[in-house]
Amino acid sequence: MTVSSYTHVQISGIKTVVPEHFIDIDDEMQYFDNNPKKLARAKKMMGYGRRYIADELTTVTDMAVDAAEKLLTEMSIDRGDIDLLIFVNQKPDYPEPCDACVAHGRLRLKKSCTTLDINLGCSGYIHALMTAHAFVSTGAFKTCLLLAGDLCAKINDQTNRKVAPVFGDTASATILKYTSEERKAYFVTGTDGLGWNKIVHPLGGTRLPLSKDTIDLYVEDVSGNKTLLSQGILKGEDVFNFTMDVAPTLLKETMKAAAWDKDDIDLFAIHQANKQIVENIISKAEIPAEKAPIDVFSKYANNSTNSVATVLCDQDKEMKKVILCTFGIGLSWGGAALDLSGMYNGGVSKYITPKNTPTRKQQLEYWTNYFKGAEE
Amino acid sequence: MNKEEFLTNMQDVLQTEEDLNYETVLEDLDEWDSLSVMATMAFLEKNFNIKTTMKDYKEMKTIGDIAKKAGL
Repeated sequence: MTVSSYTHVQISGIKTVVPEHFIDIDDEMQYFDNNPKKLARAKKMMGYGRRYIADELTTVTDMAVDAAEKLLTEMSIDRGDIDLLIFVNQKPDYPEPCDACVAHGRLRLKKSCTTLDINLGCSGYIHALMTAHAFVSTGAFKTCLLLAGDLCAKINDQTNRKVAPVFGDTASATILKYTSEERKAYFVTGTDGLGWNKIVHPLGGTRLPLSKDTIDLYVEDVSGNKTLLSQGILKGEDVFNFTMDVAPTLLKETMKAAAWDKDDIDLFAIHQANKQIVENIISKAEIPAEKAPIDVFSKYANNSTNSVATVLCDQDKEMKKVILCTFGIGLSWGGAALDLSGMYNGGVSKYITPKNTPTRKQQLEYWTNYFKGAEE
Repeated sequence: MNKEEFLTNMQDVLQTEEDLNYETVLEDLDEWDSLSVMATMAFLEKNFNIKTTMKDYKEMKTIGDIAKKAGL
């Protein structure tokens, strides 16, 4: 694990948005043989509750841009001040160009603003936050807009019970500013690339492009759960063992990097993979459970890239010393020790799909005309 | 953890109301599902510092096999 620290960066504000549509596990009794005991058992063991699901026409850029618009308004920030835009997500709107460029245009940011995408899931918010700190701490970039999200629930088949109840869609915007204050932030990061195939979407890239002969390929398990190869796979037991190896140590290393005792810390925001995993991390790392929320999973499910941002936005109290802990796809992990004093917390708001959002048919017509050179 | 306590704990781990004994066949339990496998993995890791994989769960047939894995 590499420890790095940065000074003169303030996390000024954060906001998360969720789509309007949600599913409560209590309304899915049919998947528990209509047996309330079975449902109660799954809720107790995994923490299943509510999950928000973006509609077919909504992308991560739509939601993250909405979070940014709301945050800029609420904090009265001039968009002309933004000179760095980082977007961390895994399912971009288009194979090319990167979402940060699309978001830059949508937000009407200035041309001197630098943009880049980071492709990571559950660990990604910390990698993006660290990158933002590295850029801003130089003083060359004064205001960074960090967008984060990964719409996992939207692409899931809700009848696939292995994954459907676990994931929910959210996206966030975070503002980081250069400050003359010293304000130190510490990051601890690492990767085990030999585990690249433990959480993987094997189809749809350049190695195995989606094609007529791959699009419907699926496997069926003994319970009748069908998983399309195109939907990707998470090797639960391997990822569980990886998490138990890495996350408790990561929490300790991050506290050690900042020389913080667990009593000093206001909040441990742990990636809400599921209730069982978070509980086991808390117990193995021996951190105070009352400072490490688990219920965010029951309110919003596993938000992948945005999970720890959702935990921050869900807090209604002032926070100073905060530890973030993320782990997942890569396999990769990241910890952060942050001073969040003075941060504006915009909480969690609704993303309302605009009425004029183009339908699939309209988009295809548009692109056909665009290719013909007949667009407006 | 003695053998008696192990059985009581396993009942809680699996969230089952069935009376368990060392001969209980896992496949016969309604609750022996993927949630239970993950919960058992966590239980063995936390209390016995033992890591298990899917291969172990294919080999383990009874509650007694899990206890043996835990070194009881």
